Amino acid sequence: MDRESREMLLETAGRLFADRSGKEVVNAVEKGEWPAGLWSEITDMGLPLVAVPEAAGGADGTLADLLALLRLSGSHAVPVPLMETALANLVLAAAGGVPVEGPAALIAGGLTLAGGKVSGTAKRVAFAGVAAQFVAVIGVGPAARVVVLDRSSAKVAVEPSFAGEPYGSAQFEGAAPVQNLASPVSEVRLRELAALARAMQMAGAADRALAITVEYCKQRSQFGRPISNFQAIQHLLAELASCVAATVAAAEAASRDASEVGIGSGAEFSIAAAKTQASEFAQRIAAMAHQSMGAMGFTQEHVLHHYTRRLWVWRRDWGSETEWGAELGAAVARAGAETLWPTLTSSRFAA
Amino acid sequence: MSAIPKLEFPPFRLPPSAEALRTEVRAFLKTTLPGLKTEDRYPSWNTPSPEFSRALGAQGLIGITWPKKYGGQERSFLDRYVVTEELLAQGAPAGLHWVADRQSGPLLLRFGSEEQREAILPRITRGECYFCIGMSEPDSGSDLASVRTRAEPVPGGFRVNGTKVWTSGAHRTDYCIALVRTSGQHGDRQRGLSQLLIDLKSPGISIRPIINLAGRHDWNEVTFSDCLVPESALIGGEGDGWLQVTSELAFERSGPERFLTNFHVLRELVRVVGRQPARRAASVIGRLVARLWTLRQMSLAVCGMMEAGQSPAIEAALVKDLGTIFQQDLPEVARLLAESDATTDEDMADFLDIAQHATMMAPAYTIQGGTTQVLRGMVARGLGLR
Repeated sequence: MDRESREMLLETAGRLFADRSGKEVVNAVEKGEWPAGLWSEITDMGLPLVAVPEAAGGADGTLADLLALLRLSGSHAVPVPLMETALANLVLAAAGGVPVEGPAALIAGGLTLAGGKVSGTAKRVAFAGVAAQFVAVIGVGPAARVVVLDRSSAKVAVEPSFAGEPYGSAQFEGAAPVQNLASPVSEVRLRELAALARAMQMAGAADRALAITVEYCKQRSQFGRPISNFQAIQHLLAELASCVAATVAAAEAASRDASEVGIGSGAEFSIAAAKTQASEFAQRIAAMAHQSMGAMGFTQEHVLHHYTRRLWVWRRDWGSETEWGAELGAAVARAGAETLWPTLTSSRFAA
Repeated sequence: MSAIPKLEFPPFRLPPSAEALRTEVRAFLKTTLPGLKTEDRYPSWNTPSPEFSRALGAQGLIGITWPKKYGGQERSFLDRYVVTEELLAQGAPAGLHWVADRQSGPLLLRFGSEEQREAILPRITRGECYFCIGMSEPDSGSDLASVRTRAEPVPGGFRVNGTKVWTSGAHRTDYCIALVRTSGQHGDRQRGLSQLLIDLKSPGISIRPIINLAGRHDWNEVTFSDCLVPESALIGGEGDGWLQVTSELAFERSGPERFLTNFHVLRELVRVVGRQPARRAASVIGRLVARLWTLRQMSLAVCGMMEAGQSPAIEAALVKDLGTIFQQDLPEVARLLAESDATTDEDMADFLDIAQHATMMAPAYTIQGGTTQVLRGMVARGLGLR
């Protein structure tokens, strides 16, 4: 997608998210409602097909376009599996498969494929509760397969996330996939791509939390003046801004790196670093945003928690800072102290 | 809801020419550095070595962005970035020429007279001429516009009286660029300030050491008592000092020395935990690596914005704020990890000395070049809060 098309896409999608994914919609999802209207407008706009080639009915966008869209969706706390469905379709298209209608949930790990049948239990699957299809990558290397499983073939136990989204486990016992294709994306790679996508959503949510708090502190008056006049608040928000900036910068840099390589491999270091960084600062961002808003931001009534609770959930999704940090640290230690600097300057793990 | 405050750091990648230069710099450092003891190499940009500065100059790596007629290489700002980060990361004793290369030379290029440029810039690029910064005073720190040092116009030049403090390297450099009042009264703030290029060998200058808590002599108190300087020492216009000094501070804040100063602590931490650390140790190291990688990406983004002709002052302030706090966290996180996860007791003991030394140097990072509090004030203004 050229620059102009992407900007147009983001503008249109941004308007849709602002109009149709407001506070009431996000709250309703937490009560167990499925926002069918929002999802159908999202599919009408073709967003789950944004990174699918035109020939396969998509918008012919790239991973970069998808990631930019996901940062935007994060900044509106869009409570539907846009990331999951769009990423599933990107993988399916690369495997020569047929895109799914969605809403879809993504699975990497926990499942086995034998004799064309899928078995096993995938835990903590985002949007398992509302998924019409489960798209799973099973295996690594040349043996990797991408399968599409209908909801009817799954036993789903919903365990809502702490942000109230319908996460849950999905169990399969000899389920027959409706699509079963050799996958250019391995199970490990899918985890990387999903972690990067979540990091971009986190960047969006972090950005929004900053915007909300800045606005609030300019409006809220105490001791006869807006609290944004107090130096203590100014410094708190400046520190918050620095943590938000780090999250955004890391996610954007990794997105750039991943967009320049093939979907099947590359940019592993940047992705690991970006998800580590995004997860690492999630708590500081949430804590400072809440501190600056006093009791108001701690209520159900206010929307700040739509973003802070997502940050707390998303930092764990597809690998926390502990998990990604351990992978980074183990790789760096294995390569030895003298290769640390070249690794940092090239954003590549030592061979 | 108003617009989201725009604090974007557009990803920026150094061009192949800069990466090619990196290979050359690494090769040069590989042959030059091994003769030096570790304690004589850190912190790189505070550690003096005339031999090293001259060797670097002979390689054409000082003032590389400057015009060839002044001894420069006319290479890009991005090339300079690469040289700087390689010197820092590898612990090159680049302290003597650091200030001249980073800000005094660029200041003279932009505002100096032709005579000043011709006399001084080629010597800087050869690694023979060193500078210090005469900004802070006993009563003038973060509030720089309150400087009291006075340069009274006299026939043929100025008579300077006053005191500068925290003047890094004044005892081993050749020139000081001092911010002084040349007209008006104390209290006129930014008006009436000028910058003077002062030869530190001039009569009427006394330099007294100020030893820091780590026992190092980097700082000085520089007192001017009826020190006569020629008219030709004025840099730029009389009364333009504030404008000039502000542009100088932008150079001072945005560089990689704000997050790579104690990089060796992280490198040695990786060494001390061995090739197969426990998962918890690996995770701590990975998180530090991710923070440092992020800082570098942010710094490169600032670089890209400057290269594109923008003035990312707020973004540079954010990088310095985050980077200097990282430099303070690093030795402490590393110390605690080494105590539990070093492969041998002997390695641990050696490493704890390195970490402790780094901890003792760390209070300076969030003070020099703009305190955290001054920077946060700038960021708050950028957010529209003041």
